Parts: sequence; C-alpha cells; structure tokens
Amino acid sequence: MLTKKTTKRSNTPLIEVRSISYSYSAKSTGRALNRVSFFVDRGERVAILGHNGSGKSTLVKILGGLQDTLEGECLINGVNIQDIEFRELRKIIGMVFQDPENQIVAAMVEDDIAFAPENQGLSSQEIQARVDKALAQVNMLHKRENSVSALSGGEKQRIALAGALAAKVDCLILDEATAMLDPKGRIDIERTLREIHSDGMTIIQVTHQIEAENFDDIQRVIVLGHGEIIWQGNTQEFWDKAEELGFELPEEFKIRKYFDEHNINFPDNFRVKVFDTTASHEGLKVKDSDINTSQHEKFRLEDLSFRYDEKNYALRKINASFYSGQWLSIIGKTGSGKSTLVQHLNALYKIQEGNIYFDGENLPQKGEEVHELRQKVGLVFQHPEDQLFSANVKEELAFAPKNAGFKGNELDEAILYGLNCVSLDEKFLTRNPIALSGGERRLVAIASVLAARPECVVLDEPLAGLDASYQRKILGMLGRLRDEGKTIITITHDLKTALKYSDKILILRDGGFVKEGSPVEVLDELMNILEPEAWPDILRLSVEIRKVNPNFPLLYDYQEFISCISQM
Amino acid sequence: MYFTNVNLGQYIPTGSFIHRLDPRAKLFSLLLIISAVFPTKTIFGLGIWTALIILLVYVSKISWRIVLKAARPVLFLVIFTFAFNLIAGYFNIGLVRAFYRGFFTSARLLVLMLFAVMLPLCTAPLELADGLDALLSPLGNFGFPAHESAMMIGMALRFIPLLMQETDKIIRAQLSRGARLDQGNIFKRVTAFFPVLIPLFIIIFRRADEIAIAMEARGYEGGAGRTRRRPLVWKMTDTLIVILSALIVGIMFFVM
Repeated sequence: MLTKKTTKRSNTPLIEVRSISYSYSAKSTGRALNRVSFFVDRGERVAILGHNGSGKSTLVKILGGLQDTLEGECLINGVNIQDIEFRELRKIIGMVFQDPENQIVAAMVEDDIAFAPENQGLSSQEIQARVDKALAQVNMLHKRENSVSALSGGEKQRIALAGALAAKVDCLILDEATAMLDPKGRIDIERTLREIHSDGMTIIQVTHQIEAENFDDIQRVIVLGHGEIIWQGNTQEFWDKAEELGFELPEEFKIRKYFDEHNINFPDNFRVKVFDTTASHEGLKVKDSDINTSQHEKFRLEDLSFRYDEKNYALRKINASFYSGQWLSIIGKTGSGKSTLVQHLNALYKIQEGNIYFDGENLPQKGEEVHELRQKVGLVFQHPEDQLFSANVKEELAFAPKNAGFKGNELDEAILYGLNCVSLDEKFLTRNPIALSGGERRLVAIASVLAARPECVVLDEPLAGLDASYQRKILGMLGRLRDEGKTIITITHDLKTALKYSDKILILRDGGFVKEGSPVEVLDELMNILEPEAWPDILRLSVEIRKVNPNFPLLYDYQEFISCISQM
Repeated sequence: MYFTNVNLGQYIPTGSFIHRLDPRAKLFSLLLIISAVFPTKTIFGLGIWTALIILLVYVSKISWRIVLKAARPVLFLVIFTFAFNLIAGYFNIGLVRAFYRGFFTSARLLVLMLFAVMLPLCTAPLELADGLDALLSPLGNFGFPAHESAMMIGMALRFIPLLMQETDKIIRAQLSRGARLDQGNIFKRVTAFFPVLIPLFIIIFRRADEIAIAMEARGYEGGAGRTRRRPLVWKMTDTLIVILSALIVGIMFFVM
C-alpha cells in the first residue's frame, strides 16, 4: 500500500470522493447525499454550489473528516480518510465555517490563531512563527493584540481563516464563509483567498450564491442538487448553464454576455477593484422615477438624538418623515445607528432628546399604550428565525396577535392573514418551526409579526443569508404590503435591492442624518458614503463608461442600462 | 440595554507589574488573601485590606471607574447585605450598632469582591485558563477533569458577553411581538419568559455544537499533547509575591 501511494503521488488527486452516500434517517429515499463522486487536484480552486437543502453541509463535514460516510469512500492523497490519523488529517485539511463567532475559541486574536498549532504540540517559537505568518496572510498583523469582540464581522472571519491557515494545511474547505458578511467583509475575504490560492493552496468553496468576485479565480464548479451532483465543469461553461441550473447570474456577467453578443468592448478597468472614488459625480444625469407620495405622514422624527453614555451619540439630531404606502430603506455602515433608530419606533428605546410623532401624536413611551403601539408597529429583527419558540407554527403566529388582545375568530383570521402574507400553505400550521428549512423559518418569523396586522412593518436585513428564491418571495411580499397602504421600513446593506425596490432612502453616517429622498435623489450621497465594493455592478459599470463617454447616464437598473447601451 | 453592559471582568491590558505576574502566582495569592479577608473582625483589619486594594488598583494602572464597573454585578449583593443587617439588627441591637454592623459586613464583602475582580481585569483570559489548568492539574491524578474545567472557564469568558447580547436581542424581539415580560404574578412572569428562554437555549445548543465541530477541525482532542504559544514561566518575582501575600496574611491572622 505504502509504495503504491508514494509512486502514484504525482497524479493522485488531493481529494477523491467515490460514490459517497449519507442519510439522516433509515429511509433510502431522500438521502442527504446520494452516490456523489468527484475529485479535487492539488492547487485547484473548486466551487461546490447548491441551494439550501442540497446536501452541501453534509458533504463539507465528510470532506473534513468530521462525519463518516454511509456508503462509498473519501480518499485524501489516495488514502481512505478513515485510515488517516486524526492529527495527520488536521494538518492536511483546514475548515472555515459560516459564523465566525462559533470558530473563535479565545478572547484575544493571537491566542485564537495559536489554537491549531498548540493542538499539534509544536514548540512555542514555531507556534509564534505560524501565528505571525497566518496573520500576515490575512492582512491582520495590525490587530494581533486586539480583543476579538472589538473586531468587525469581516475581520472576525479573517481571524477564523488565519486560525485554519496556522495549522499549515494543504487544503482549505470553506462552508458559506462569506454568507454572513457585509460587502466590504466579503471582498476582503475574497481578496485574501485569491492570494492564498496563488501561493498554491487548494481551496474548496461551498456556497449557495454566485458572485462575480468569487469566480474570477475559481477553476471548476460542481453543482449539487438534492444530494446528487447535477452538473460539473469549468467556470466558463458554468456561466452558460447557470440560469438553466437555477442560479441567478450576477449582473456584471449578464452584461458581459450582452456585450459579447453585440460585439461591444467591455471596459477593462471595470474588473480592477481599486476605484477612483474621487471622480466627481456632480452634474450627473439620473433617470427619473415617479415616487408614490402619499399624503399620510405615519412617523415624523424631530431632532431625535440618543446616546448610550455621556460622550458617544448613537443618533444625532435626526429629522425625517415616513409615510403610509411607502417603502423606505435605511442605509448606513455597521455602527451608523440604524438599529438604534428603528428601535425607537416601537419604544424599545425611550426618547432622550427630540420628538417622534406617530399619526401626528406623541409616540407613547410607557404603559398600556406602548403595547398598543407595538401591535401597530411590527419590528422584525435580524435573523428573526432565531426567536421562534413555539411547538408549532400556529402557536408561533398566534403569539403577537394574542398579546395584542385578539380572540376567537379574530385570532384565527389573524393567523391566516400572517400565513397568507408570506404565501405559506395552511398545512404549515401544524409543523414544528425547528423542523423547517432556514428560508421557511424566516418566512414564519416574519409572518408571526405580520399576524398582528401592524400598520407599519420594520425589518432589519430581511434578506440576509437567504437564497435568491426566498429573497424574491420576501421582496414581493413587502411590495404587496406597501400597496396595501402599510409603511415599510427596511434596514439593509444591499444597495442594489434598496435602489430597485424602495420609494425612499434614508442615509445615516455615524449616527448623523445625511440625506433622505428618492433613490435618484440620494444616489450621489450613497456613492460618497459607501465603498465602490458595495455599489451595484451596473452602477460601477456606468461610472466607468462615463469616464469615456460623459453623456452616459448614471444607472443601477439592468434593463435601463441595456436600453441605454443599445441606443449608443 | 435590557440585558447587556454586565461586564464580567473583561481583561484590561495595561502592561503593569501585576499584569506581568504569572497567573498561578496571582491565583494563589488571591486565594490566600480572600481566605484572610473573610474572618476579618476589626475595623483596623478592614482598614489594612482597604489600603491594600487601593494600592493594588494603583499598581495595576487600571482606573477605579473600570474596577467599580466590573464589580457592579455584586454591588447589589453588597447593598442587600447592608440592608439586611440594618433591618435585622435594628430589632436586636439598636439602630447605631445595627448600622455599624451592616456597614462593616457589607464593606468587608465589597473589599473581598474588589480583590476578586482584579484577577480577570489583570490577567488575559487564556492565561487565566492556563493558570487554572496548572493549579488544578494535580487533581487530574484523582480523576478530576482539570484541563477540561479550565478550558470550560476560558470558553465561558469568551462566550458569556456574546450570549448576553443575544439574550438582549431576543428580549427586544419578543417585546416587539407584544410579550409582557414584567407583569402578573410570579408564575405568570416565569412562563412569560419562556419565549426568551427557549430560543436562547436553542441558540446555545447550536453554538455549542458548531464550536465543537470547529475545534475538532482545528485538531483539538483534549489537553494531552497540547503545547502553549506562551508557556507559563515562573519567575523570581512570582515567588516573592506569593511569599509577600503569605506574610501579609500570616501577620493579619497573628495580629487580629
């Protein structure tokens, strides 16, 4: 065996999966994985794509040697993974998971990165050398003595990445490693991965969404569906097949395709990730859009300020109005005061300075009136599925209306109303929320707030971590609620969605009010405040085109972009 | 905030003399001092301990604001002790003596707690865990899970602030759905907290599960064969500090 292994080494793939199957129940139907076979060569970068429930997570655990297979075998350098000693395996394969918080074991940055080399029993000099190198690889040397809790989400994930690199592995497996990050954090991770890959690291990236940045560097794509491999091939072939396979193309690729088909040269510098942000956007020609200006002012904020302690203002003199039948997006970086602002709207935070008027009257601050207010203003927190607690969906949906005093028929109607809003079937009522998929749980959690029939619905990052089909469902639902006359307020990082769907955008920076207006009116400010990484592809592209042709309008909508291009 | 700002002794690096001591020396000295503060009976003795804690805070270069903030969770206990002694004593020994006794008992408790919070403030979490690991390891011979206990304490120091934030968020979310967490009789109040407790437990179990997998993926299989990036190094000053603590404690026992 041993001689065979050494002689075959040069052409033995690093990882080879032979017809593996896995099931969480005894039934042979509905397996999590069914006869999956593929290989990954040394130094390759491969993406394994699949929607929620495709068996990705199970595959990740098997590849990482954290779970046995039911049938078939997984070979690492030609040796069955089950025959490799735990310690040796951990020097070959490193893993990065979705939630950075759940991977960082120590409170200080360096202490955490040292965890893997410490487990390998290395000398303290060698451990320190590994820590230094890993920190350099993820560009975090300047944060080496920081406390983990003081880092941003993206920085934490880079620490998690460094933690895996410090084990000096040959292969990194990333399980949805960028799904929880904001655009800036995502780009930073991608940049780091590109560098590590060019240094010879084998990378297997498991994900449910495809983004332009990720795919520049990826050589092969394997698509998983319902536990089976439904397609594999190189990245170029994948682009032609993506829509057929149920994946949405990033707009940039749609446009590339369009340009190719019409023999237009794609601006070269578009791919360059360093943008000239000093370029003036003034005097820009923007598209006109009609805003649904309803007359009823639901909320009016006057000089609203809030501080957690004497010095630091979380909000500074915010003035704004939110109307019925309008969809408002609040945009700002992490820490800009978005969450603090919306939690004033249902009196979770009490007003310190300034005033809030709700339907023209002072916003209640205490007593029974606050309970009435919370029925009228429904607040959906980030990852609301984490707040479900009932044994079945019906009880969950009954919670808010019951608290608001709904009884009997009224209560039953409220439950059905909530369910209808999110377009879920009545048969869901008897299901246990824990047993549902992530996307379904999100819908149930949103429905549980809507069931109390609020007049105003506030959602904090409602689309975060969902795949495209659920995102569309929620966006459609919010549009319908708006048309019913409700006030919709969403907090989001996703500029593309905010520009496309909302009637108005409110921009916050460091707790201060920057601007409020229609997407067109605030576009200029948005571009000044957010890094180009966070801009929609179309917007970036139209900025590039404007450098060559200043008459080209600044656009963010795909259809409009195509029609402008074809007129050129 | 409904449930955060509870600072369970977050490490404040100032690089002081106290910070640089070996965690084992600090743990051992703390044990000695606490065992001596407890039986203090005279105002003179308490005065000396107070002077010592003031000196300790001064040498550690940590501001009193931070120290008191870290001790805030136990301030309630201190106030309760004072009130209880005052009320209970009022009927037996009269107001003045009850006031004195209440003051003395609660002040002693406060000094004790201040010594205790200085340890995590001056010791990095990992060092603290390593120190505990080392001090507990003799018990390992009797089957006590020494390394695991120390690891657990280290992990708790890392994750408790996170769970506080999560609890806060769940409370806010359920209040938003109209939950009445602060009304009704005891039974109602307890059941009213189910919507907070159930999601919290689900989150804790899920986190625990994911953390375990992530630790395994980084090659953790318990304490055996593990080395340290910064192995604990016992220095002359550490010996001196332990001897000094022992001397102070010995003198205090002898004098009192």
